[in-house]
Amino acid sequence: MILLQTRRVARTLMILCCLWGTGSSSWAADPAARALTGEQTKFFESNIRPVLVRECYGCHSKQSGQSKGGLRLDTQAATLQGGDSGAAIVPGDLDASLLYGAITHTDFVMPPKRKLSDAEIADFRTWILSGAADPRIVHPVDSPATAIDDQTIEQAKRSFWAYQPPQRSELAEVGDASDDWSKTTIDRFLKAKLDQSGLAPADDADAPTVLRRLCFDLIGLPPTPEQHRHFALAFERDPGEAIAVIVDQLLKQPEYGQHWGRHWLDVVRFAESTGREVNMTYPHAWRYRDYVIDSFNADKPFDEFVREQIAGDLLPAADDREWSEHLIATTFLAMGTKNVNEQSRAQFAADLADEQIDTSTRVFLGTSVACARCHDHKFDPIRQSDYYAMAGIFRSTKTFFGNPPSQYGSFSGPQTRQTSSLILLPVADENPIGRSYTQDELQQLHEQIQQKRLELSQLRRGNNSTGAGPMSQQMRIRLSNELASLSAKLSVVDERGDPRSYCMGVQDGSVSGDAPLLVRGEIDQPADRVPRGIPVVLGQIDPPSPRSSGRLELARWIGSEHNTLAARVMVNRIWHHVFGQGIVPTTEDFGMTGIAPSHPALLDHLSIEFVDSGWSVKEIVRQLVCSRAYRMQSRMDRTSHESDPDNRLLWRANVKRLPAESLRDAMLSVAGKLQTESPRASKVAQAGYMRVRSDQLEDPRDRFARAFGTMLTSRGRSGRFRADRLRESNDMSIDSVSANYRSVYLPVVRDFLPRSLEVFDFADPSLVTGARETSNTPNQALYLMNNPLTVRLSESFAKRLIRESRTQQDRIESAFQLVYGRSPSVAEQMASQEYLEQSGLSPLSALSTFCQSLFASAEFRYLN
Amino acid sequence: MYTRRELLKHSSAGFGYLALAGMASRSQLRAAPIEHSSVTHPLAPKPPHFPATAKRVIFLCMQGGPSHVDTFDYKPALIADNGRLGQYGGSLLKSPWAFRQRGQSGLWISDLFPNVAKQADDLCLIRSMHCDQPVHPGAMTQMHTGTAQFVRPSLGAWTLYGLGTDNEDLPGFISLSPPAGSSRNYSSAFLPAIYSGADVGRSGSRFAQLSRSATTNNPTVPDIRNPNLTPPQQRRQLDFIQTLNRAQSVDVNAAAVEGVIESYELAFRMQDAIPELMDLSGEDQRTLAMYGADAEPTLTFGRQCLLARRFAEAGVRFIEVTHGNWDQHTRLTADHQARAEACDQPIAALLADLKQRDMLRDTLVIWGGEFGRTPSAQNGDGRNHNNKGYTLWMAGGGVKGGYSYGATDEHGFAAVENPCHVHDWHATVLHLLGLDHERLTYRYAGRDFRLTDVHGNVAHDIIA
Repeated sequence: MILLQTRRVARTLMILCCLWGTGSSSWAADPAARALTGEQTKFFESNIRPVLVRECYGCHSKQSGQSKGGLRLDTQAATLQGGDSGAAIVPGDLDASLLYGAITHTDFVMPPKRKLSDAEIADFRTWILSGAADPRIVHPVDSPATAIDDQTIEQAKRSFWAYQPPQRSELAEVGDASDDWSKTTIDRFLKAKLDQSGLAPADDADAPTVLRRLCFDLIGLPPTPEQHRHFALAFERDPGEAIAVIVDQLLKQPEYGQHWGRHWLDVVRFAESTGREVNMTYPHAWRYRDYVIDSFNADKPFDEFVREQIAGDLLPAADDREWSEHLIATTFLAMGTKNVNEQSRAQFAADLADEQIDTSTRVFLGTSVACARCHDHKFDPIRQSDYYAMAGIFRSTKTFFGNPPSQYGSFSGPQTRQTSSLILLPVADENPIGRSYTQDELQQLHEQIQQKRLELSQLRRGNNSTGAGPMSQQMRIRLSNELASLSAKLSVVDERGDPRSYCMGVQDGSVSGDAPLLVRGEIDQPADRVPRGIPVVLGQIDPPSPRSSGRLELARWIGSEHNTLAARVMVNRIWHHVFGQGIVPTTEDFGMTGIAPSHPALLDHLSIEFVDSGWSVKEIVRQLVCSRAYRMQSRMDRTSHESDPDNRLLWRANVKRLPAESLRDAMLSVAGKLQTESPRASKVAQAGYMRVRSDQLEDPRDRFARAFGTMLTSRGRSGRFRADRLRESNDMSIDSVSANYRSVYLPVVRDFLPRSLEVFDFADPSLVTGARETSNTPNQALYLMNNPLTVRLSESFAKRLIRESRTQQDRIESAFQLVYGRSPSVAEQMASQEYLEQSGLSPLSALSTFCQSLFASAEFRYLN
Repeated sequence: MYTRRELLKHSSAGFGYLALAGMASRSQLRAAPIEHSSVTHPLAPKPPHFPATAKRVIFLCMQGGPSHVDTFDYKPALIADNGRLGQYGGSLLKSPWAFRQRGQSGLWISDLFPNVAKQADDLCLIRSMHCDQPVHPGAMTQMHTGTAQFVRPSLGAWTLYGLGTDNEDLPGFISLSPPAGSSRNYSSAFLPAIYSGADVGRSGSRFAQLSRSATTNNPTVPDIRNPNLTPPQQRRQLDFIQTLNRAQSVDVNAAAVEGVIESYELAFRMQDAIPELMDLSGEDQRTLAMYGADAEPTLTFGRQCLLARRFAEAGVRFIEVTHGNWDQHTRLTADHQARAEACDQPIAALLADLKQRDMLRDTLVIWGGEFGRTPSAQNGDGRNHNNKGYTLWMAGGGVKGGYSYGATDEHGFAAVENPCHVHDWHATVLHLLGLDHERLTYRYAGRDFRLTDVHGNVAHDIIA
């Protein structure tokens, strides 16, 4: 009960924040349902419409092609919805009706050149107070006939593999019982297919190769020389047992979650900024990153993990801590790319829901529904109405991705037209994250805001020496931007100047309902409303309870075995990371255009195992790496290669290029520099809410101010908490050359990735990526030859060798052990000595460049 | 266990000269200077199958799908039928831009490209393009590799594989600041990695490029200089790296190791060649102004076009420059205008500059997107994707100037006259380069692959 109450308080706070966000709340309502009386129509036609046409349509109508300030006034829906600043008309409420404020010159001055007559203003007053009856209703057009008939859908449901429930195989039927290669069920499935094609599995790889694979595949880091020694002995005694023991250890290490969490972050297009033209940071996105890492480490049941991300805000929570965690999980829906510069609010809302539909269906179901926004899906049996069934759910959901308003309000500028608030967490951070301000600094901020507001209003009234014209326009834009940035600083701290704890995420909207199908996806062409639900071919969900979006019902269906895809899609993702290629290679497309599974029965078997294990990701990982197949060599076999060039039947292990993070982390680790403690938050959180325009995460004005030690610097109050590690170096560059923490914690700003990640095919954070590309380019060579980070770590590595070994020979031996997990051959030992002696460099430089050479070599970059 | 020589014959990726050099001198595993042998160098120039009219390609890739009916495909019926219900649903939308006849040839080109229109007599419009993919990623990949289904080498990689390059200090195939996450479009797939496109300049979206070009005067390649080592010192280090690479067992990861080895050699040579080539400070103000490389809105693309000319001059075989985003489902009038304004002048300047240097003769300039847009409206002022019919143009390199090939129907929905599929276009481009698309094959996993798979007909009519 007490808990419930605290939560209610927090919810009230949250709702306060909600009220400030972009509202599309009127969107789903249907105020047009009532017919107008003759008198209402007459009043509108004679007193209101002519004025609107004469005075407003020039800049705010479809006919004129203009919707200045995102506002159109030529239909009832558009008028109620309003523009960038809010609803133009709120029936019965003069104060909330911005149009009334504008014609009375209270806040806006409209029409711009003259004021309406008192009589006209009085008419508008009467009209609004009496309910703003408006006959300008866009009547729904006919829904287009669907090209996909019921029979096609039934047919697909019956025959297409991905829409069938996974089938349990009789194990006795799998493979040859006398086969002595197979160690696990997985092996039997694989062996059976190899036998059918007359192929043989490759021999086992040696111990160092297997251990290197295990460590990089499970925790993304190289094994230590000690681990190699222990493992070699154990592997000789009993390979299966040796693997089982080390796998147990590795799965318990926190580095497991950091590595596997990153795989998930690829899929969910995790990023800390909006991307697009006006690239605004998401200073709170890191919470979701940490939530993912923690969830993988805790082996949170995957079905629960799914439900939390889609509808965490609606799930029951035992306490406020859990509630916080659930809210953070919904960041998943909030962190997509956004065009905050979009003029039309309706368009923005439609695009936002579209991004959520697209991501959710491809991430969890391997199905692309977003193709059906404008017409029936061209390849899969998904109708346009299926899309709008889902759109109703997401359009009834409110997304929080921006920055809360300060006491001065929310400032949308010419660049960030679409603003949004954040969700205040029920549990505050123990040590606040982000900038804090002293009372003096707070005072200065307030004064600056008041000063700028004054300047702006003077400018609006024309009381300025620059007068009207382009100069004044430019000044207005500059002032608006400065106000927005000052307000953003003030709004995230409490009255003592300490940062509050926010997260991005979603809530059910204040009004919910079914969405109309939009003909050709055009927001001006609404047809009949489609009951909320999921694509017919995939199944059915419970109808949403009244006043709710239906997101909870959706989450409960996706995160369950009631659909045929979620478990399959996830075990296939795991398979992809362990074996280098999915059973379905198109990890996001389990539809008609995707590639069919190489081993459908195995995929089914694994997804049943997954569900039976309580959706344990660790259990599936364990089963895969404990198979005989995982132990195979990657040696080429010409005959097998000609028969199965893509190795789809897995006759050998796939060679894998180390991912960008592992390359950097392994260099840090070998150099003895890897910081094991996770950094707090993220550089982006330190930078706060800002527009990113360069490789520096700092507003040039602030950098200038900081350089001169004036205000707006973050002064960590040393008495209360330590200055954050991230800020120690004052290095706000995205490349983060001096950082020693794991790569998963590097800033992920859309379009401005750290070089160390970008050059090695990091997943584009604007796209859902289940399988990264692995290129091999001269840019990678240049990075390893010349990049300051490579150079720095090579030096650290050299110093480590000097510290730990005395003779040159020992250092060479030790270097090979650390980097490759093996001793150098005689020839390599000789070549190394020769290089060290003849490099023409000082001894330290020679050793550093020797170390760099090992990092640069192919053997280090690939996992055989 | 294979010998290297066997692998050279049978490996999926083939083996270049370095592996051979390694084999010859590596019995002692001692670093030896790399010898550049034109016989075995994988980038060495190779003779074409038959005399070529084009020696190199500059591909101006218009990402997002520029509207053909608003640029190069004049449709009077679309004007007449404005607002009427179109063949494929939606009401027809006439172009917001006027079309005019241009040059001696009288080609119809809209006012969206006033500067390019002045070069009409050098343009060869293919007004009957079509492809199989209705969405961007698929269509983009098909335009580059012929298929969206499989990972296959791109047109540039095939060209480089077929012809080698004239300057081995530079990548033979350069993609200038390509969009992030698009490396599949310039990759070599199963061809040796040395044939894949090198991205020069940081990749990233149009927005990131705009931001970056606003802050730096001379875009260059990151990490192009070593902070500590002199070139001879670095060469010694590189020889050691290559020694380590060659010590790798050859039957495990041959193609990748080979790719790594070659990437270091190329990177080492690029360190000298690239900064000089990318330094535009030597260009006179008149040239910069001609390309619009001195001011917005043409700054970014103007520089890239100028760089493309410099790379072409330096002997790079295939240069790709991407310009996006043409995907106007809404705000067609404003945004198509803005896209065109950013590239019209630079493209015209590139054509004129190549001509004045007598390079247009043997340089094939290609302009085109992954598809076109529907003649019917979307969202009022917008158009949807249209892969059934669209326009792509080429200039120089032996194509007919002032010529129009093929046609769409009266409104521009679908290619109806001399339809030119992406495969046909690929076959034609290779033909202009002196390569027979049916003979340009690569044996991978026991099968001969080619860019056009089992398709492709050369459009002989467009060849001068």
